Amino acid sequence: MRAFPSRLLIGLLVLGLAATLVPSADAQKRGGTLTIVRPTDPVSLDPNLETTAPGAWVYFNMLEGLLTLDDKMQVKPALAASYEVMSPTKVRFKLRPGVKFHDGTPFNAEAVKFTFDRALNGKPPARWASLAGSLSGAEVVDNLTVDVVTKEPYGPILRTLAMYCMGIVSPTAVSKMGPDFSRAPVGTGPFRFVEWKTNTHVIIERNPDYWGDKALVDRVIFKVVPEEGARMIALQTGDADMVLFPSPAQLPALRRDPKFTVHETTGIRVVFAGLHAGMPPLDDVRVRQALLHAVDRKAILDNIMEGSAGPALGVLAPGVFGYKDMQLDRLYPFDRAKAKALLAQAGFAPGPDGIMQKGGQRLSLSWLTARGRYPKDGEITEAIQAMFKEVGVEARVQVLEWAAVFQQVRANPLNHHMFTLGWVTSNADADYSLYALFHSKQVPPTGWNTSRYANARVDTLVEQARRSLNQTEREKLYAEVQDIVAKEMVWIPVYTTKEIVATRAGVKGFQVHPVEYNLALWKTWVDR
Amino acid sequence: MLTFVVRRLLLAVPVLLGVVFVVMLTIDLLPGDAVTLMLGEHATKDAVAALREHLGLDKPFAVRYLDYVTLLARGDLGRSIQQNRPVARELADAWPATLQLTVAALLIAAGVGIVAGIVSAVWPNSVFDAIARLASLFGLSMPIFWTGLVLIVVFSLWLNWLPVGGAGSLSHLVLPAVTLALPSVAMVSRMTRSAVLDVLGEDYVRTARAKGVGEPWVLGKHALRNAFIPILTLLGLQSGQLMGGAVLTETVFAWPGLGRLMVKAIFARDYVLLQGAVLVFALAFVVINLLVDLSYGLLDPRVGRQG
Repeated sequence: MRAFPSRLLIGLLVLGLAATLVPSADAQKRGGTLTIVRPTDPVSLDPNLETTAPGAWVYFNMLEGLLTLDDKMQVKPALAASYEVMSPTKVRFKLRPGVKFHDGTPFNAEAVKFTFDRALNGKPPARWASLAGSLSGAEVVDNLTVDVVTKEPYGPILRTLAMYCMGIVSPTAVSKMGPDFSRAPVGTGPFRFVEWKTNTHVIIERNPDYWGDKALVDRVIFKVVPEEGARMIALQTGDADMVLFPSPAQLPALRRDPKFTVHETTGIRVVFAGLHAGMPPLDDVRVRQALLHAVDRKAILDNIMEGSAGPALGVLAPGVFGYKDMQLDRLYPFDRAKAKALLAQAGFAPGPDGIMQKGGQRLSLSWLTARGRYPKDGEITEAIQAMFKEVGVEARVQVLEWAAVFQQVRANPLNHHMFTLGWVTSNADADYSLYALFHSKQVPPTGWNTSRYANARVDTLVEQARRSLNQTEREKLYAEVQDIVAKEMVWIPVYTTKEIVATRAGVKGFQVHPVEYNLALWKTWVDR
Repeated sequence: MLTFVVRRLLLAVPVLLGVVFVVMLTIDLLPGDAVTLMLGEHATKDAVAALREHLGLDKPFAVRYLDYVTLLARGDLGRSIQQNRPVARELADAWPATLQLTVAALLIAAGVGIVAGIVSAVWPNSVFDAIARLASLFGLSMPIFWTGLVLIVVFSLWLNWLPVGGAGSLSHLVLPAVTLALPSVAMVSRMTRSAVLDVLGEDYVRTARAKGVGEPWVLGKHALRNAFIPILTLLGLQSGQLMGGAVLTETVFAWPGLGRLMVKAIFARDYVLLQGAVLVFALAFVVINLLVDLSYGLLDPRVGRQG
């Protein structure tokens, strides 16, 4: 008898606790306008013509794909209700019934086929065709069932379909509007297009007929404010509720100020100093390991990045499917004595000018970098250059404009020992990086194996993982790849980017996504 | 008169052809190309080649130049590489904003500059003159992007009187126009001061005063009319300057004009769009110079008869 009231009490407590933890629906306010400032106008609002952020930020709220990636980087159904792997080259999708495009026409299997045909067989093909790997198209099974097919077995297919640029478009609207479609796209998303005034603003509004939870704000205005200082002032005066690409220098002040909120999360780009493993003396793994030991990566994060980036835990960012923590701090702790010992093992001894040498050859490395392509790329290069000097390694840094660096890094042969680069795993699947960066056949101009890394076992593993549609198996294969690469490092991973968005404190319910393009605004509301 | 105008306009043709050539060559010589920038770092070799071919960028420079000029001769500005939109439409969207900004700045520069210059000249070395000279030194020396930001901080952030940026109402125009006008105000006021001072020292002014003409009449009828010729030349030059300055001002104040369009085109290496924008600027220069030349005739009857 006495057990009952106490259980009731606990039950009530749990209920009460739950009520305080979960914000009730009443707390959300509907209506109002959310004003966002960002540096540039879109190129286009059609993923076929634009895969970069200025356009993607907007169309991600209007166009939906079959699948999507949630905040935790897990694949979730969007326009697909469910899916089933039929064969290594075919995935069958059951589509969500009763969904309508913004122009009132029904969403169906035909629309999926139309979208993929338009993108992959168009002249020229869609900008995202290069990102889609082996995807070859869709076949209509019935009105609400569609098979997505690939040219060959393609493991990353699910994450490819979940990319921000894979939104299904209204076939009727495309044929009716012609080229104008790219400025006023029609999809199924929680917002629909209102107006785009070039270099001024893009306006989107709530889709009242949305199939899922309807957006909370009435409309969103994306304003263009190219000047960084002016963007930050717009946030302070209230002209803007949200700033994309806020000024890093002002973030500490914004974090302290209760009038603002800084939203941040670890991104999916790793910035690194690449090593050319095909060029002596970097073909000796001991020399490469010595260089890793010579770099104080924590000092770079603390003193140069100042909280605007996270540590690089491996060659992949943590949000990517197949990521494994390479334990770099355990394998390659900052240790100058160790670095010098490894160089000695490789046959190097200090020369008269303090620089290590072997057989009269000084340990001098040429290093190519841009300045401003990635946050602080020039600064981290200079810092590492100084750290190398402490262990008797000379780095001859050459700073060029990004377009020129790009050209040289893509060249074969590559005439530099080192290069500062950033790599974003666009489809959030390890294949995208581990295959293109570490397969021995992926040397530029074919792929991005700029380090000329070659390991037969790694080749086999990444090929096997690419062809498998068993995701558990793939994860295991990628783990082994990263274990091997960790021992023979051809990169000095420096940091993982952070995605940072600053808002006024009244902006609620906003969640910044690890993929910068996935700017989801339908759960956001404004409390004025 | 008409033959003069027609001849001047015909002379503009080789100028514009030269402008097109230089712009195209510059973009061609810059490292990086439109297609790589459009498709991003991860594009496959084949995709880059296919898009280059589609856009005709694989053709040699001379062929592309001739193609473009032929297109121009037919009155077509082509389609922008990046957005595949008619360039004429992009320009039509952007140029009214730049015109609005430039005209507003020119009016401010002329109004404030001339009045300040005259006052300085009439009472030279007075307190007003000293302040005006100091202010014009300031106006000339400060870079536009800096004055722009300072004005935003004062009038938008602190006083909250005017919007931070963007276009729409008259209040949006105030800060960018003032920012853009400042260096020109300084130039015009100094030029007016020295021109009026010069004229006030002339014999005919002394004669006018001697025969008992009132000082306002001396100033208005005899001095200003003659001082206006160099001032007008300067204003013509300044309007070119103002259009150039609009690139910076438009960036600071998020003003949706031609300057911003040009910056965008340069970053995207979109030479078709850039050429369209540059041609509008070049044409504007030609027209302004023509107008200035024609107005000499109005102010000085001797000039008109030669045309």
